[in-house]
Amino acid sequence: MKRLFMAISLLALACPAFSQELYVNTEPASNMATNSLGIRLENQGYFNPYKTRTTLELMFGASRRLMVHGSLYLSDYYEPQQHLEGGSVYAKYRFISVDSVQKHFRGAVFGKLSSINNPIPYQEISLDGDNSGLQAGVVFTQLLHKLALSGSASYLHAWNNAGGFNLPAWHAENAVAYTLSAGYLLLPKTYTSYSQTNLNIYAELLGKTNPGYGQSYLDAAPAVQLIFNSLVRVDFSYRIPLYSTMERNTAHVYLVRVEYNLFNL
Amino acid sequence: MKTLKIVVLLLALSTGIASAQFTKAELQVSGLTCALCSKATEQSLKTLPFIGDIKTDLLHNIFVITFKNGQPVNFDQISKKVQDAGFFVNSLKTTFNFDNTKLADNSFSYGGDTFQVISGTEKPLNGQVAVTIVDKGFAPKSVSKKYAGQLSVASTGKTGRVYHVII
Repeated sequence: MKRLFMAISLLALACPAFSQELYVNTEPASNMATNSLGIRLENQGYFNPYKTRTTLELMFGASRRLMVHGSLYLSDYYEPQQHLEGGSVYAKYRFISVDSVQKHFRGAVFGKLSSINNPIPYQEISLDGDNSGLQAGVVFTQLLHKLALSGSASYLHAWNNAGGFNLPAWHAENAVAYTLSAGYLLLPKTYTSYSQTNLNIYAELLGKTNPGYGQSYLDAAPAVQLIFNSLVRVDFSYRIPLYSTMERNTAHVYLVRVEYNLFNL
Repeated sequence: MKTLKIVVLLLALSTGIASAQFTKAELQVSGLTCALCSKATEQSLKTLPFIGDIKTDLLHNIFVITFKNGQPVNFDQISKKVQDAGFFVNSLKTTFNFDNTKLADNSFSYGGDTFQVISGTEKPLNGQVAVTIVDKGFAPKSVSKKYAGQLSVASTGKTGRVYHVII
């Protein structure tokens, strides 16, 4: 009996734990491989009235520790017609990495700069098409058995937007953002080839606070992800506010994204 | 007839040289958790000129590499490619053909580099023998630390890059 228990325990240990950290609404502490390029085309939006934003994002692994992103935003959020809203650049530097087979803990610092030409009617500071500003933060990612957990905290600062759209004097110009993400590989049950389609599910918590203004929110963002041929990634997500005391346009937002990866440029 | 003799001689020579080399390796990578990451690592390894074929065991994160015949193998480049992809080498067990090679002072030369055997020298070395590199960059810190004392002592007066291996 004792031996059987031992055997089962050993088997359980030998069974690989596949968790996923290719989060849909946040970035993990891990980077892309050096000299690989990810191309993302993303559409987000909300209904009543139906408004939509399209993002083109390029991601590049500059070295084993550093990766950079560049994004362009196009939407009809603030105008009747679709228009180019501006862009952002993002960099992430991995400063700690403790790895063993199929397990790891990683930490990274990141920064983002954006320039946007929209008016600023909302209280939320968002650098993804809404505000010109700066973001700086830390992110840690850990695999725990079959779960990939990731948490981040960051500071955001908004400037006046481009195009003569100033940040209203009664608006917060600083914000704190925090995220907690969990990912799980559902399929395939056993990994044998790169051509197997992967199905991953994610649960993410996305929060923001404007300190001193009593404005904050916390959203739950469940997500589903398919990966084809270990090259093409398709993401779906929907944000559901758990609580919200902040005027914003990110509540009840859907997200659809396609990502294509090129290796060894 | 003379030409034939030369051809035969050359053939014999070339096979003699070719046999004294690394033929394959089992590379286990740590930190890999997704198919995208494995694919990126494999594609990166494939750019090395001495790597012929890679078979991937996705379940255990092992890349079974077959080296090209006659191409000098550079293990540091393998480690670099894995680290550039964002991961680490957990173990590198390679196979060396000892048919034309004898150990001298517990070491053998290959491609201008020295392979210092720090454990397993008592074993008979004939034909294909598995050799595991234990230097930093090829094993978890705990393993390279375990052999750290032997690493510094054994590497004096050797030519080229000195790899430390156990057999």
